[in-house]
Amino acid sequence: MNRRRLLQGLSFSMLAAKLSGTSSLYGQTAEPQPQPARTLSPNDRIQVGFIGPGSRGQELIRQLLRTPGVDIAAQCDVYEPRFAEVNEMVGKNVPAHKDYRDLLDRKDLDVIYIATPPVFHASYSIAAMKSGRPVYCEKTIGFTPEDCTNVVEAARKTGQIFQVGHQMRYASWIVESVNRVRKGDIGEPTHVYGYWHRSDNWRREVPNPSLEHLMNWRLYRESSGGLLEELGSHHIDIANWVFGEQPQTLLGTSSIAVYHDGRTVGDNVQAVLGYSKGRRMVFSSLTDNGLMADQVWVYGTEGSLQITLADATFYKRTSKMITEASHSDVVQKGVETGASYNAHSELPYRGPGYRLNMKRDEDPTLTACKSFMECVRSKKQPFANVNVGYGSAIACAVGRHAMYEGREAKIPQLTA
Amino acid sequence: MNTTTLNPVTQLYCTTHPAMGTEYSLYLYAPSREQAAAIAKPVFEEVDRVDALLSNYRSDSELSRINREAFDHEVTTDPETFRFLATCLAWSERSQGAFDISVGKLMKVWKFFGASGALPTPEEIAAARKHVGWEKIRLDPEQRTVRFLSAEIELDPGGIGKGYAVDRAVKTLRAKHVPAALLSAGSSTIYALGAPPGEAGWKVRVPSPHPEGGTISTVILRDTSLSTANLSEKNFVHEGQFYGAIMNPRTLQPVRGMLQVTVISQSATDSDALSNALFVSGPEDRASLLGEQECALVIREQLSEVEQQAAPPYEAIRWPSEVAQRHLAELPTTKEKEKL
Repeated sequence: MNRRRLLQGLSFSMLAAKLSGTSSLYGQTAEPQPQPARTLSPNDRIQVGFIGPGSRGQELIRQLLRTPGVDIAAQCDVYEPRFAEVNEMVGKNVPAHKDYRDLLDRKDLDVIYIATPPVFHASYSIAAMKSGRPVYCEKTIGFTPEDCTNVVEAARKTGQIFQVGHQMRYASWIVESVNRVRKGDIGEPTHVYGYWHRSDNWRREVPNPSLEHLMNWRLYRESSGGLLEELGSHHIDIANWVFGEQPQTLLGTSSIAVYHDGRTVGDNVQAVLGYSKGRRMVFSSLTDNGLMADQVWVYGTEGSLQITLADATFYKRTSKMITEASHSDVVQKGVETGASYNAHSELPYRGPGYRLNMKRDEDPTLTACKSFMECVRSKKQPFANVNVGYGSAIACAVGRHAMYEGREAKIPQLTA
Repeated sequence: MNTTTLNPVTQLYCTTHPAMGTEYSLYLYAPSREQAAAIAKPVFEEVDRVDALLSNYRSDSELSRINREAFDHEVTTDPETFRFLATCLAWSERSQGAFDISVGKLMKVWKFFGASGALPTPEEIAAARKHVGWEKIRLDPEQRTVRFLSAEIELDPGGIGKGYAVDRAVKTLRAKHVPAALLSAGSSTIYALGAPPGEAGWKVRVPSPHPEGGTISTVILRDTSLSTANLSEKNFVHEGQFYGAIMNPRTLQPVRGMLQVTVISQSATDSDALSNALFVSGPEDRASLLGEQECALVIREQLSEVEQQAAPPYEAIRWPSEVAQRHLAELPTTKEKEKL
């Protein structure tokens, strides 16, 4: 059975049970009925239902607790110890559910946050939008190509506000530098190189071996798109933003070079994504050497941009000297012939760059949460909307299979 | 990672980790290097998380966000940060301002922020008065918001942040049922969890503030913390006068006449804050600042032999061990203090 059929054949509870290694955990409940979200007055506190408060989920909750006018009103997880962790963070007992449908059945929730493993993103997002609530969903919006299409369709049909967790779109220094690139500051951007190198085995300590697949879902192909999806999707999104379109092709490779510990996703990835006019995005991820860390380079015909998690620096190509002196002696004496190779032009650039006078200030995830709540109050679609989410997710959903099979993937384009 | 052989089954491992401008050390017993590393990892992750929350050297920390915005508008913060700030203000109230997290501007005026200090002009000190004072910080528990009543209030967690990080990290150790460990935040705040096998507790030596003075007291700690405040970290000498980086928020000057304060308290947050509060407080207030279970060793500077003969150069408040006074007999000169 291939992955797609496996997923289609599994209900949520079966899949959750499969991941947690336990038998059926849930009773069946009816599909949530659509209900109109209440109209929020400016003084109303927005009630958040939170699905999936794991490590990333708890970071989101931390930022939500710093967002004015917001309460964490309900939580949902298949792993019960999370509930106490959330209660400690929030400082009170947050009503807890083990089945997301019970959470969606609540009448007291205004918005739904989803930070589960990506296999559940699409089905939970779609159910949440159909229940009449705006959705903030971690990347990627879907695990399979069908997931990605279905989430876009549901967002269009319900007209719901949908924001994807591409918080780099809310980082002040990245917004400013990408805007400058799009205005032509480095000429025509032709290449984006994303490095996400770490020295970390990506493995979580598991209190009980039966929880291995639930806790270390990132390490197994049935529940994870690996480094391309978990890390690369953020860089692909920046490339999509810079180029103003989604990629058309992906050619890549992945292997296990270091951590031969039973995992089935690679511990390193190299991928080349094709855009129109021959433009390219290259993504590299290593997990045993963190030297390059997390940075994106945008190369243009007139200069380069380096984006890090802390700042952004522009490097302009040295302009060619045009001398006005008389060249008559060249005509009289002629020019000399010799070897043309100049090693200097091949050496790494060591000179200064123009650093954007804008350093990391507010945590981009906090900015993203604040912005989402503003969109909810003003009923506007977010900057990181469902189309943005599709652009990175579809590349990962299609691309990872192509990587495993050693072929170039054609990436389905979003239709208007 | 250094190891000391204890027995064939478990060994004492020491793992170090840079954070908060110092080096954290964690000593624990484990059957293998890998298991020691597996325990140490979440402990130091917790230290890093607290650093990212409270650092005033990181522009994206929650504390820096509050510093930037809390005069312009009420800042909604998370319950943990709110509780931390409430603890800081409680210490300010209890110590009548001897402990004060709002000294950020003062630390900058005296060039102790990211540097080792320099004398400011009287005008600069006078100007700083408006921007220092814990009573200018307002907390609203209902809304969980922070507001500053002065435009340039800057919170500086220097007198309490490491202690808080140690408490949080120890919580991680306890959650992992680690029976015996010692966590040291660059030696200024230490927590002793349990005791080494066959021992009553972890030994901690309090050094003499005199450069070659050796150990003046050794205490055995078990399930408790110890913090030391002294002037060895950042200091400068100007026209023969020694200035260290512990500020008296009332006078807006570095504290004078004190060399070292060591406090034992169950909470590392409290021992850290108390060691600084006692450093600033006058002798009449010191004993009343300590809780019943807390103890302190205070070492004063003695400027003359007359003073030295009048009273011992230290004050031991419920201090559980002997103090070797001979190591305190010699008065450190300004030159020596420079070397501290």
